[in-house]
Amino acid sequence: MSTVADKPAAITSRFDPRYEITLYRHVGVDGAHTLEHYRARGGYRAAEKALTEMTPTQVIDEVKASGLRGRGGAGFPAGLKWSFMPPIDGRQRFIVCNADESEPGSFKDRYLMEDDPHQLIEGMLIAGWAIQATIGVLYVRGEYYVAYERMRDAIAEARAAGLLGRGVFATEPDGEGDEATPASPGFDFDIILHRGAGAYICGEETALMNSFEGLRANPRLKPPFPAQAGVYGLPTTINNVESFCSVVHIVERGGAWYASMGTDDSKGTKLYQLSGPVARPGVYEMPMGATFRELIYDLGGGPTEPAKALIPGGSSTPLLPWSDETLDLPMDYGTMARVGSMLGTGGVIVIPESQCMVDAMANVVRFYAHESCGKCTPCREGVATWLPKMYQKLLAGLGTRDDLTLMEEMVRNLRGTAFCPLADACAMPVAASFQHFRNEYEHLVDHGAPKYPTVSRWAE
Amino acid sequence: MKVVVDGVTLDLPPGTSAIDAVFAAGSDVPYFCSQPYMSPIGACRMCLAKVGAPRKDRDGSWILDEETGEPKIFWFPNLMATCTTAVMDGMVVDTRSEPVKAAQNGMVEFTLINHPLDCPVCDKGGACELQDRAYEYGEGVSRFVFDKRHQEKHHALSDLITLDRERCIHCKRCVRYFEEVPGDEVLDFIERGGHTYIGTLEEGLPSNFTGNITDICPVGALLDATSRFRGRNWEYHHTETTSLDDASGSAIVVDGRTGRIERIKAGHHPEINKTWIDDGTRFGHEYADAPDRVRRPLVRHDGRLVETDWADAMDYVAARLTEVNGRDVGIAIRADATLEEGVAARALADHIGTGQLDHAPRPAGGVIAAGGQARLEELAVAGAILVVGDVTEEVPIVDLRIKDALRGVTPPSLFDHGAPIADLRLKERAPRHAEILTVAAPLRVDLMRHAGRAAQYPAGGERAFFHALTALAEGETPADGDLGMPLEAATAAVDGLRKAETAVVVLGGWVLASLQATEAALHFCRAVGAKPMLLGPMANSYGLELVGVAPSHARYAYGGMLTGAKALILSQLDPAIDPAVAERLDKLELLVVHASFLTATAKLADVVLPAAIGYEKDGTVVNLEGRMLPVRAAPVDAGESRDLTGFVKAFGEAAGQRLEGRSVKSARRWLKKGLGVDLDALPEHGGWAPAKRGPARVAVAVHEAPAHGGALRVPTMVRAEVLDRNPHLRAATGGLALGLHPDDAAALKLRSGDEVTVPVAGVPRRLVVRPSEAVPAGLATVPATPDEPVGLVPIDLKQIALERRALEVA
Ligand SMILES: Cc1cc2nc3c(=O)[nH]c(=O)nc-3n(C[C@H](O)[C@H](O)[C@H](O)COP(=O)(O)O)c2cc1C
Ligand code: SF4
Ligand code: FES
Repeated sequence: MSTVADKPAAITSRFDPRYEITLYRHVGVDGAHTLEHYRARGGYRAAEKALTEMTPTQVIDEVKASGLRGRGGAGFPAGLKWSFMPPIDGRQRFIVCNADESEPGSFKDRYLMEDDPHQLIEGMLIAGWAIQATIGVLYVRGEYYVAYERMRDAIAEARAAGLLGRGVFATEPDGEGDEATPASPGFDFDIILHRGAGAYICGEETALMNSFEGLRANPRLKPPFPAQAGVYGLPTTINNVESFCSVVHIVERGGAWYASMGTDDSKGTKLYQLSGPVARPGVYEMPMGATFRELIYDLGGGPTEPAKALIPGGSSTPLLPWSDETLDLPMDYGTMARVGSMLGTGGVIVIPESQCMVDAMANVVRFYAHESCGKCTPCREGVATWLPKMYQKLLAGLGTRDDLTLMEEMVRNLRGTAFCPLADACAMPVAASFQHFRNEYEHLVDHGAPKYPTVSRWAE
Repeated sequence: MKVVVDGVTLDLPPGTSAIDAVFAAGSDVPYFCSQPYMSPIGACRMCLAKVGAPRKDRDGSWILDEETGEPKIFWFPNLMATCTTAVMDGMVVDTRSEPVKAAQNGMVEFTLINHPLDCPVCDKGGACELQDRAYEYGEGVSRFVFDKRHQEKHHALSDLITLDRERCIHCKRCVRYFEEVPGDEVLDFIERGGHTYIGTLEEGLPSNFTGNITDICPVGALLDATSRFRGRNWEYHHTETTSLDDASGSAIVVDGRTGRIERIKAGHHPEINKTWIDDGTRFGHEYADAPDRVRRPLVRHDGRLVETDWADAMDYVAARLTEVNGRDVGIAIRADATLEEGVAARALADHIGTGQLDHAPRPAGGVIAAGGQARLEELAVAGAILVVGDVTEEVPIVDLRIKDALRGVTPPSLFDHGAPIADLRLKERAPRHAEILTVAAPLRVDLMRHAGRAAQYPAGGERAFFHALTALAEGETPADGDLGMPLEAATAAVDGLRKAETAVVVLGGWVLASLQATEAALHFCRAVGAKPMLLGPMANSYGLELVGVAPSHARYAYGGMLTGAKALILSQLDPAIDPAVAERLDKLELLVVHASFLTATAKLADVVLPAAIGYEKDGTVVNLEGRMLPVRAAPVDAGESRDLTGFVKAFGEAAGQRLEGRSVKSARRWLKKGLGVDLDALPEHGGWAPAKRGPARVAVAVHEAPAHGGALRVPTMVRAEVLDRNPHLRAATGGLALGLHPDDAAALKLRSGDEVTVPVAGVPRRLVVRPSEAVPAGLATVPATPDEPVGLVPIDLKQIALERRALEVA
């Protein structure tokens, strides 16, 4: 497969004339997390524009026009979600930011918060205005302590500067006669910063709300959806960090600008995360529809050793075998669905030839087993108990061909039967590994030893 | 809405869950986490089915199937949990196709991998939902070759409930139950994933309704500690009957085996207790089998009570009675006697020719409100509720039905398969409308935790309280102290009651103890248009008042006959606990005692006749709503115990008379004539008693002494008079409590747990000191019994004697 690496990359979007780094403009820049730095570079202009020149509906329409799809994994159209909020009826409304980023392979939100916290605050402020929520909840993954500190300080700065709190962008009456602009009371908006409870499931939107309320992070029944009954049973909209940050630029430069980038069903730019044996792993902002090849070779410097598969969107997305066709696939929602996988969070993981696939999947399964909340039977018993034990058995060299059949059947039983998508998140990659790399499983059970070296991790 | 389940077309109301559609169609899906009267949560994933529905196009017309021309069914991509899926018009549910079977199979397999399968030693064996469903829907083999999860197998959640953590299948019924039904969040899941288990905080299960979790646990994880390892389910004889523990008329199931009661479970009465009972009702049955149970008649010979048979004993009674003027004979029965027993008692009184007939305890204010009495179903949907008393202890089911009202969900309509398995209107952690509830009492009571407004008026101040409220309702300004709450709160409470479509005022024993307070309360109800609900002190207080088990003159009431009568026939009453009364009883010409235990009174008797207790009789009671409910005898070996109809039969035989009420049948003939009700044709869930029409005897108010004193006799959920014979409940409650304000206890140098004897209204009571902030300073609380009914009485704390010092806990 090393032949692939030698082939010149077919560049489709790299020179997209409309494309420039937006979301990650300040990331990696010293001192970029301060209000001073952010404002000096035009920060909070978008919010001012939204709050003083646009009605909430206009903001929602702009986001709809942009074609922005949620960046938390499911890719639900953001503007559409915002329009689900019930009419204003005097009840408290919430805008929640899901910053629980815990999917293996995903690490984009972290740097957005660490290096550009004000961009997120601005995004939440705009979204709060759009859905007329006066309270924002920022739920930061518990393990992200620096991100928490930066957000905490940034919120304090924003409050001190009047960008959060009562009457944001309030204005005095100005001018006289026909020219007069009346006084505006501004918008009351503040953010509650909450540190996560240290579990992957806390990122599932309804479990997040339970966790925020001080309850166990078990996902809730849907319907009612958050717009009807979210935080404390009140109307709520929840989005991912990257989604909010994208909104800042959509408001600033217009939905049409945003929609001009990307592919038919996936607009704008996206933060792709690259990990595994590549020369320059990291987060790369690219227009939607850029290919794996561009990400891995042009930006990531290519694999450092021969690869055999890649995971396109975080560990829960089914892997794709390494091939020219795969590498030339545009990384967008539609294409990934078409090839039987998902764009997820855009966390691309390269799996090297030298890595035992069974072992790699054992690691994925171990993660989901550890993170299962225990609420529903298939996830608690299948994902959290049985499947990891099967992998343990295989890796101990005790597996049989019947075990492989059993595992495939188990995975079928897990697909679409659990309460929330966590079980699918575990079952889908396993199913894909069986689909593409059953030979490695067979080798392991037939020889009692894996074809490629494994890493010992089972000690708990 | 038209719904098709496995080819059967149904017409169902919107909001119905698909699982109820499945059962309504006569099909079946397995389920573990759903439970009637609780929120559906979709956790067990057993109830999966293939679900599809037609869709409309943009113009609003159905998208048609090109081949058939019928609306095209769009199947959901995944199988759906039917318990959390609402029916849609035209929905199609398929529970029989291959993918559904495979999923059910797989789910049973998952559920079983960590289950210990110790059915042979499990109390739930034979009545286990998991066992049944595994049998019906499982493959019968396990492919799980690993070690199962090992967890604690005998974890005492409390003195009454044992948890086997290995058996738990994480359905969350128990956890949800506590939050949703009594509103006591005392149990939750701990840990996550495969390590998840249920547990409590250190206090265990502080709730009055804990036992219900043993009924709803689908497996043998939660077990009734009183019945653990006592029998297998197929050995039990189940008797569906009505609880005689309080006036609610709750449905219970008495499980007996080889002549002994082993456990009590909640029965289902959709309009009374749904499927819940309190712990007193559930665990308070052990006394039936107490070692000192009187099982054979006893007659006094040479100063000693000697065993004999009924005929002999009754010959003796009949002969001795001829020596006494009939008018001087007093007959008193306890207020949980059945209607039929009431008829028997009347017949006996008529035969003897006495007007000295009464039931006790009989509150001065009566228990039947002239004019509309509220029903429990009305209480459960009331828009405003005022409670005066401690309902949680008095009639615990009233407490639960009030909590229904706080949730604001109307009772479900029933399907042929019963209450909805998944009532989609019910939600976990639903908000409660505390503002509709006002609770007033002379001390802090449990229900106040759930009330929007709490009032603490001075003990004995019930009449003044209602006068003050009525004044408010009539636009006057009452004296502040009488209300026990700020004026604005009282005004809001009164306004709420006046404005609500259904408003209910619940009157507890402290109100009913006084005729004037009761009249003041009923007057207030009329003033605001609220319906009263009167909490009778015992299971058939209402019925006995209805059939006129009452004296012909006020001085012949129970209290009066204890001093005035020359001979007494007492059924299940124990007045001799008062030494002054005992002295008088000892001088009677004849004392006949019908009792289940050798009580203080029985010990003085000339004749003791063994009395059947509530689980051992057939008959009818009328609950606090005025609903006639069936009481059925469980096959229990109670020796020669009989109820009052049996008593009268034996007496009649001895006296050569066929008395009315000599059997349940004969009593029912009388009731048919006298009240116009045919109890043999009583519907399954009971029927309404006729409105009170002038019975042959006039109910006379008991003499009412103005309440005073430093002790408030309080109702208790567990029956105080038999607590010592209920070892599990005794351990759980720590015994009968003397409630004192902590400062008062300290002044008396008493510690929590000290055992003391103290004279309360002349009766030496042995009690355990429980200092509590809930009791106001200067007041002591002592548990009421049938012979010491609720109310304010004198206590002589100077005479308090320390019997045993509590162990100092570090
Ligand atoms: C098990 C699970 C974990 C999730 N974790 C995250 C997360 O860490 N961050 C996130 O933004 N979304 C996460 N999601 C997706 C959220 O439920 C939700 O769809 C998202 O926050 C919506 O935001 P968006 O519309 O902006 O994508 C998770 C979903 C599941 C099922
Ligand atoms: S103990 Fe019983 S009721 Fe509670 S979660 Fe476990 S199986 Fe369900
Ligand atoms: S998921 Fe448990 S009954 Fe439906």
